[in-house]
Amino acid sequence: MKTKVFAVLAGLAVAMAQPASAHHSFAAEFDANKPVTLQGTVTKLEWQNPHIWVYLDVKDDRGNAQPWQCEGGPPNTLTRNGWSINSLKVGEQVTIDGVLAKDGSKTCNARLVKLPDGRSVFAGSSGGDAPPKKQ
Amino acid sequence: MKTLLPACVVVTMAVAGQALAAGQQDFKPPTGPTPRLQSGKVDFSGVWQKAYVPDMTKDGKDQKGTAVLPFTPWGEAEWKKYDAAEGDYTGACLPFGMTRSVNTPEPMQIMQSDKYFTFLFEQNSWFHVVPIDGRPHGQGIPTWFGDSVGHWEGDTLVIDTINFNGRTRLDTIGHPHSEQLHLVQRFTRPDLGHITYAVTVEDPKTFTRTWTNTRTFTLRPDWEMMEYSCEENNKSLWEGRIKAPKPPKP
Repeated sequence: MKTKVFAVLAGLAVAMAQPASAHHSFAAEFDANKPVTLQGTVTKLEWQNPHIWVYLDVKDDRGNAQPWQCEGGPPNTLTRNGWSINSLKVGEQVTIDGVLAKDGSKTCNARLVKLPDGRSVFAGSSGGDAPPKKQ
Repeated sequence: MKTLLPACVVVTMAVAGQALAAGQQDFKPPTGPTPRLQSGKVDFSGVWQKAYVPDMTKDGKDQKGTAVLPFTPWGEAEWKKYDAAEGDYTGACLPFGMTRSVNTPEPMQIMQSDKYFTFLFEQNSWFHVVPIDGRPHGQGIPTWFGDSVGHWEGDTLVIDTINFNGRTRLDTIGHPHSEQLHLVQRFTRPDLGHITYAVTVEDPKTFTRTWTNTRTFTLRPDWEMMEYSCEENNKSLWEGRIKAPKPPKP
């Protein structure tokens, strides 16, 4: 993969500061052992149930924009915590810490969406059920 | 699967849980005596904040789990073979069932009269109506949420539910049950701002004895229920990253 993807060792703590969604099993779709950091430009934001989705273009090693999509929290929970569809604008630069989908597509579960000024938006994800599944 | 997560992820989630707990502690529910209907029965009406319980064996804020589940051999086998990646009914927006609906972090509104107690779950905008006028269980076909009736034991409302279709899981992590599931939910309201809740799981096909979770719900008069359409933009299913479960064999 030649996209601008970095391993994440830490720094996800802030992201889970809200209730996680229970819409689906996290482990069914995402691999908690595959953390990712994406830096790119927002191209679209979908503010719909059961999860918001952030779409962004991420430049690969050759400078070509690659389209990625990242799942966020449920809009109801985010709304109660003061976020809205206007909290992130098309064209803004973001850094997303998350984990990759199991199917190898350019899809992630966003744990932290950071703006260039250091602020974060949309904290919360569906990752709350990700701890070790079966002992 | 016996995967252990990297330490950083586990630590992250632990820290996050503390942050969540701290956030919830900031809210102070109204104080006052236990509200009652005109009949004198305890009134549980209100919008309630619940703990997110993805795993009913774990403790958490406002949640006390049962650490070791007493599986029968059948229950143990069902638990070990479960893999949500092979079929996730909640990801397919099928009904969560009773325990998993109460387990969600989304709020729940209760509306009540002398005749009915009604769960209004924000999760997927589902509802479940419980007659509490002393009638016996119905004789209908098995369902996702089961057949519930309620009765009073002093100021405790006891909701008894049977006749499940066996197609749900008890929690997000996937603890199993069978069509023999029998739930007993006990509600008390010690004051205006809180409900004390206990759910006891009986299922002789899956467990050798009963087990219980106890929780506290917090009144949120500052919240209104919101629409939640699971199907609205369920990309994960449409794009094939989540699989719908296979229908049961006839």
